[in-house]
Amino acid sequence: MSFQVMMMQLGQGMLKSMGIFFLTLLFSLPLGLLVALCRMSKSGILRTIMRVYISIMRGTPLMLQLLAVYFGPYYLFGAKLGKNWRFSAIIIAFAVNYAAYFAEIYRSGIGSMPAGQYEAARLLGYSKSGTFLRIIFPQVIKRILPAITNEVITLIKDTSLSFSLAYAEMFTIAKQIAAKETSFMPFLAAALFYYVFNAIVAFAMERIEKAMNYYSA
Amino acid sequence: MMKKRVLAGVLSAAMAVSMSFTMAYAGETEAVSGTEAAANADGLATEGKFVVGFDAEYPPYGYMDDNGDYTGFDLELAQAVCDLEGWELVKTPIDWDSKDMELNSGNIDCIWNGFTMNGREDSYTFSVPYVNNSQVIVTADDSGINSLADLAGKTVGVQADSAALALLSKDGDQADLAETFGDLQQFADYNTAFTELMAGSLDAVAIDIGVAQYQINGRDGYKILDEYLNAEQYAVGFKKGNTALCDTVNKDLKTLLDNGTFDKIAKKYAGQGVDPTMLCLRESFGEASTEASTEAETEA
Repeated sequence: MSFQVMMMQLGQGMLKSMGIFFLTLLFSLPLGLLVALCRMSKSGILRTIMRVYISIMRGTPLMLQLLAVYFGPYYLFGAKLGKNWRFSAIIIAFAVNYAAYFAEIYRSGIGSMPAGQYEAARLLGYSKSGTFLRIIFPQVIKRILPAITNEVITLIKDTSLSFSLAYAEMFTIAKQIAAKETSFMPFLAAALFYYVFNAIVAFAMERIEKAMNYYSA
Repeated sequence: MMKKRVLAGVLSAAMAVSMSFTMAYAGETEAVSGTEAAANADGLATEGKFVVGFDAEYPPYGYMDDNGDYTGFDLELAQAVCDLEGWELVKTPIDWDSKDMELNSGNIDCIWNGFTMNGREDSYTFSVPYVNNSQVIVTADDSGINSLADLAGKTVGVQADSAALALLSKDGDQADLAETFGDLQQFADYNTAFTELMAGSLDAVAIDIGVAQYQINGRDGYKILDEYLNAEQYAVGFKKGNTALCDTVNKDLKTLLDNGTFDKIAKKYAGQGVDPTMLCLRESFGEASTEASTEAETEA
């Protein structure tokens, strides 16, 4: 296999890895906020459910969760898995897993807001939801960005776990080329792809952080 | 009050998005199970589509070729069967560890990938065997290992859930030999195992002979021990009880043998590890065995 073909194959795999990456963020960021709010809600039942959910997501390997989501419908309900289920299962597993981590990050951010802000907002006549949406949440975002960046970068590398479902993302492709070529070179190329993509994401996140740093500019 | 409603709206929208996402696909899986109820007479999960599951890290039987397409001896045979039946071949790479789940859940119609039938007869419905395979030991030329007895105290690598592993496990035919090993290490793929062999952290690898020949072709300084671990056969594995599909494929294999297609494909892979002496499709159909295959049997 020529170098160009290998890079092209890996490039196509990279597109699929990016697909997992962006879709996971799209679903897990809002879902994580929802989980965080439920985790902090007044209802004890809701809090307990969320605590258990987060505990399971963080306490079991993501690779195992991928297998569970993918094969679960068949083993639990005898449903026949459709052709597109492989990809959907990957997105669901990733989104649900990352939502748990994001939820804890949101919770730490929301919890760090001084009570005085809520009191001041109430005196100024803000409703509860208005206080949260207009005063608390924007500050939370600003505070948790570094922690979010950490998770986002981990996610890029975690997409390679999809190889356990033989989804043709970059790591799976790299393994296949390596087997055919009886060489480790494709892994080196794969590492380069991951690194470059990570560098771009890290740069973008840094820019966003700077843009939000409006008080100390 | 108004703002509370906005917040509730935002939250329920987020929830609805994630829920509908899940449900849309739940619906999809159900819809497909409906078509299964209408079971195709030919035993295919989806009409007109022959979905072959294979390990894409298993050259020469199934792998990615120079152009980045999946090919191999087995996949070309599967394509020939599809040409006869007018089916569309869907090549689905699978993780070898999950092959049973993929087959039982109907994701794939068969496992066609240098798949050893011996010892697995109770778990799958098998086609007629088409390749005489052997599990062999590969070591470095200068390892000082020249027979199975020399493996005593050595570290041996093997693919997880493989026929070689079954042989070397507790109830396998070579369990006594495995007892003498220093350690038996499991690997997900042979490329990793071979790299460890080169690096010296493994002394030997237990592997299918065809794959061994392919791997040795790509590297210098390795040999296959003259003593084989066993003699076994490759066949196409179908979900247990799917005789309709199995019968069709058997019939097609006979046609491919008679019209020369089988030999033509085999010839193409002769230099890549599928040795002509290993072919056994002719004998499977009770035809006079060629000189070459008689030789292979005595050797085994």
